[in-house]
Amino acid sequence: MTFASEPYVLNIGPQHPSTHGVFRLRVAMDGETIVDMDMIVGYLHRSMEKLAEERTYTQNIPFTDRADYLAAMSGNLGLCIAAERLTGVEVPERAQYLRVIFAELQRIASHAMANGTLVSDAGAWQTPLLYMFREREKILDLFEMTCGARLTTNYMRIGGVAFEPPPEFWPALSELVDELPDRIDEYSELLTDNEIFLVRTRGVGVISAEDAINGSLTGPALRGSGVPWDLRKAEPYDVYDRFDFEVPVGRGGDVYDRFSVRFEETKQSTRIIKQAMEQIPEGPHKTQIPLALRPEPGEVYGRVESPRGELGFYLVSDGSPAPYRFHIRAPSLINLSLLKQLAVGSTLADAVVTLGSIDIVVGEIDR
Amino acid sequence: MSSDATSRPLPAAPRPATPMLRQILEQPTLRRAFRGAPLPVRLALVVVALGFLAVNVAIGALVVSGRLDGHWYDFRDLGNATGGLAAWLDDRGLGPWLSYWVTALIGGLGILSFVGGVLLIGTWVERRLLAKFQIRRGPNRVGPFGLLQPLADALKLIQKEVLVPLGADRRLFFLPPILVFIPAMLGWGPVPWAPRMAYLDINVGLVYVVAISSLAVLAIFIAGWSSNNHYALLGAMRTVAMMVSYEIPVSISLLSVVLFTGSLQLSEIVAWQATHNTWLAMILPFALFTFFFSSTAEINRTPNDIAEAESEIVAGFHTEYSGMKAGLFLAVELGNALLVGALVATFFLGGYTLFGLEEWVPPYLILAGKISAVYFVFVWLRGTLPRFRLDQLMGYAWKFLIPLSIAFVGISAVEASIFARADLPGLVVLGAFGVVNAVLTVVLVRFWARIAGYEAPQGDLAQPRLTTTVGGLRAAQRLRITR
Amino acid sequence: MDSTGIVVGFWVLAAVTIAGALGVIAARDLLHAIFFLIVSFLGMAGLFITLSADFIAVAQVLIYAGAISVLLVFAVMLTPLVSRDNGNSLYIAPGALAGLALAALVVFVAVDADWAQLSGDALAARSFPDTAATIGELLVGRYVLAFEVASVLLLFALLGAIVLVHERRDDDAAAARAEDGAAGDEEAA
Repeated sequence: MTFASEPYVLNIGPQHPSTHGVFRLRVAMDGETIVDMDMIVGYLHRSMEKLAEERTYTQNIPFTDRADYLAAMSGNLGLCIAAERLTGVEVPERAQYLRVIFAELQRIASHAMANGTLVSDAGAWQTPLLYMFREREKILDLFEMTCGARLTTNYMRIGGVAFEPPPEFWPALSELVDELPDRIDEYSELLTDNEIFLVRTRGVGVISAEDAINGSLTGPALRGSGVPWDLRKAEPYDVYDRFDFEVPVGRGGDVYDRFSVRFEETKQSTRIIKQAMEQIPEGPHKTQIPLALRPEPGEVYGRVESPRGELGFYLVSDGSPAPYRFHIRAPSLINLSLLKQLAVGSTLADAVVTLGSIDIVVGEIDR
Repeated sequence: MSSDATSRPLPAAPRPATPMLRQILEQPTLRRAFRGAPLPVRLALVVVALGFLAVNVAIGALVVSGRLDGHWYDFRDLGNATGGLAAWLDDRGLGPWLSYWVTALIGGLGILSFVGGVLLIGTWVERRLLAKFQIRRGPNRVGPFGLLQPLADALKLIQKEVLVPLGADRRLFFLPPILVFIPAMLGWGPVPWAPRMAYLDINVGLVYVVAISSLAVLAIFIAGWSSNNHYALLGAMRTVAMMVSYEIPVSISLLSVVLFTGSLQLSEIVAWQATHNTWLAMILPFALFTFFFSSTAEINRTPNDIAEAESEIVAGFHTEYSGMKAGLFLAVELGNALLVGALVATFFLGGYTLFGLEEWVPPYLILAGKISAVYFVFVWLRGTLPRFRLDQLMGYAWKFLIPLSIAFVGISAVEASIFARADLPGLVVLGAFGVVNAVLTVVLVRFWARIAGYEAPQGDLAQPRLTTTVGGLRAAQRLRITR
Repeated sequence: MDSTGIVVGFWVLAAVTIAGALGVIAARDLLHAIFFLIVSFLGMAGLFITLSADFIAVAQVLIYAGAISVLLVFAVMLTPLVSRDNGNSLYIAPGALAGLALAALVVFVAVDADWAQLSGDALAARSFPDTAATIGELLVGRYVLAFEVASVLLLFALLGAIVLVHERRDDDAAAARAEDGAAGDEEAA
């Protein structure tokens, strides 16, 4: 004997506490189980790629702040690296170190946010989120100290970085880097020993390594599934090849693995920053480039490891100061594409946690 | 604009009323409503107000003249005051109905004003405590230490528009915010605050409490059903399912309390604990845990707040309620937490007694302290724990709590009969039972977990591997083999 | 029926109970009908209180208003939307007959009862202070057989419900599928 029940449609979003922005899921549910799902994006579409075709390369850097607004530094870095590859501009060594430091700080801040919101999605009433915000605040203070902005930093430039950090930056940074590993241990103690959190995340939203590669996932979502792929190692940009760090790789590909990979990456970022602080040479922080850079006609694809995965910029130049085509390969969008496969058949609560573990930023998805 | 535009002096005209300001000015005020009311209504209002004043003055006069017999001034037991008043009224030959009504009114108003006052303070306490857990400051702007914040919130909520969603069942939609208050208030009835200070000290108090708490689910279901919203309906169905599941462990865990104390009357349960100088929590640890955990499920507190899990179903059954109607739901949630605190204190923590201290300190203060302690645990849990999934929670109730509770009822039945027959001093026997039950709890819980095939998930084993070589699928497979 | 309070309480509660019961019949929406039924149940509980039967009253609230109504709600929620109309029913005639029979029974009891024994001093002499204890003693004393039979019946009902909704285990299901597949093969052959 079976009870027949009719599926009904639930609109999750665009305004919903756990959609991480204005992202909408149209979910067909049967009781508490999801039977079908439509992902509807575009609520934050700002026509970034088209607008970029009317602006010079340098003028396009602020767009990258607003694409992935939780990792503006990584966005800046990605565009700068692509543009430098296109134009052949040399970057002074000190600027490369500064870029690494800021990109890694941004990674810590972004991962803190991602893990905090994931735990909030699992139902902890914001406590872990606020703890992780403590470190994020300090990092954002450092950003503000250096470039005057906390989120939309607009810090990196083609051929260097915009400003030399002020003198008070370095003591604050070393203080932060010293206390960070302890803090991270504290948070993982709060969460990894918590049985409720474990039963909510272990074995939930499992992505196999094959699925992850077939879905062209990148970043912690890919590494959580056990694939050791990190652009900082695989295709080192700037001075990443000079640092000694390891790539954390998950064991099962579930929500918990993505979560713990992020924690471990935070620790590795701290290591990188420490080494960079020791190695950083004196020198100029940028090269002078013409106001309107006119690259030779051609195309280039530059990519960096943003906190969310492979952030790529595909630039086509027709010889004019503005790019002919400006495309962003947004890791959030591509990581998100696997959500339907993960969510259908699971419960709503699991789907929410899975979405949280994929760590999307809607600004980057919709661009 | 030309430059002389700036040099021209600004017009000194009165600030024109904005549309919103005009709306506010045209809003009906209490005074205007009173003036606009028909004459009989106005007269009735005046009479009621004067009557209220007169009653207060009369009580004050009685107190001052010393006519109130007994020890009304003995603040260790406020029940003396109403008892004295009733006796005095009886002496005047005014009939038992008057003294009955007067004492009932005083008791009811006492509960209402206590719960109402505590709701206001409790919101502030909860927010401040949570802020402390979360390294924030919490509300600290409105009034001293932000104490008036709940009042400000309430004022804001009252001003807000009450929306009725399209397609809602209008007649039912307005009922639940009022209905949920009824069990939350009635539940306080049998709680004894002092030896003579229980509003409704009926001899089936324990069953009454369980029965009343089961009524709240109906109001919640009506709220979810009438909202015409899938989130609300999901929340309502979750609540109903949880209520059905967790009512059983609550009742079973209270059975062991009844077995030991031999009474369903709450004041008797407290008196039993006082005479034996013990807390039932020490004898029945598993029953305490079951009651507490199940109560968190019934009143939607973390870690079992799945009925209004905000990351999943926004606000659950009260998603569509706005303004003060939503505020009432939130207030009831808090009130229920306090009520559960009172019940835990009464059943398991010795109620208003504290090993003789109640002779020196007003017992109601002791009970209030215990309620606060349990409430603090609630806030602590909320500030720390994530939430379970619905199926996990259901499985926990049916596969774990209910069988083990039944086992413990059997155990405590044996112990209670031994206790009734043994000639040994009570404290020794009870102490032995406490130790035995604590050991049995640990043993049985582990044994049952093993039988049920449950393994504690290991976070440490799942820590990520570290590697310095990168690659694709083949590298992944290599890593998997090498561990 | 000595004090005015009891009399007033009785009439108010009786009105509430009957109004609730009428609402059950009159309400078009099946869920409204359930809510009216709950009102009726609560009125009944109040009537029990006026009879000093506090345990029965509380049990009425706990079992009927609290549990049975939730079961009804579940039953309604599991029925398809179209049948959630409390409108015309095929069972008017049998329903009316059953109702009449029940009413006749109540009238018979009311007429037949020796009310002189159940009022005034006679009642006071027979009353007991602690209803719960008395009921408990009767249940495990004089009526123990009925009590046990009822509990066994409930246990079987519980087991039957579990058996009805129990999903077959994976291996059972696989075996069933294999059988189905074999049958299909035979047919195909």
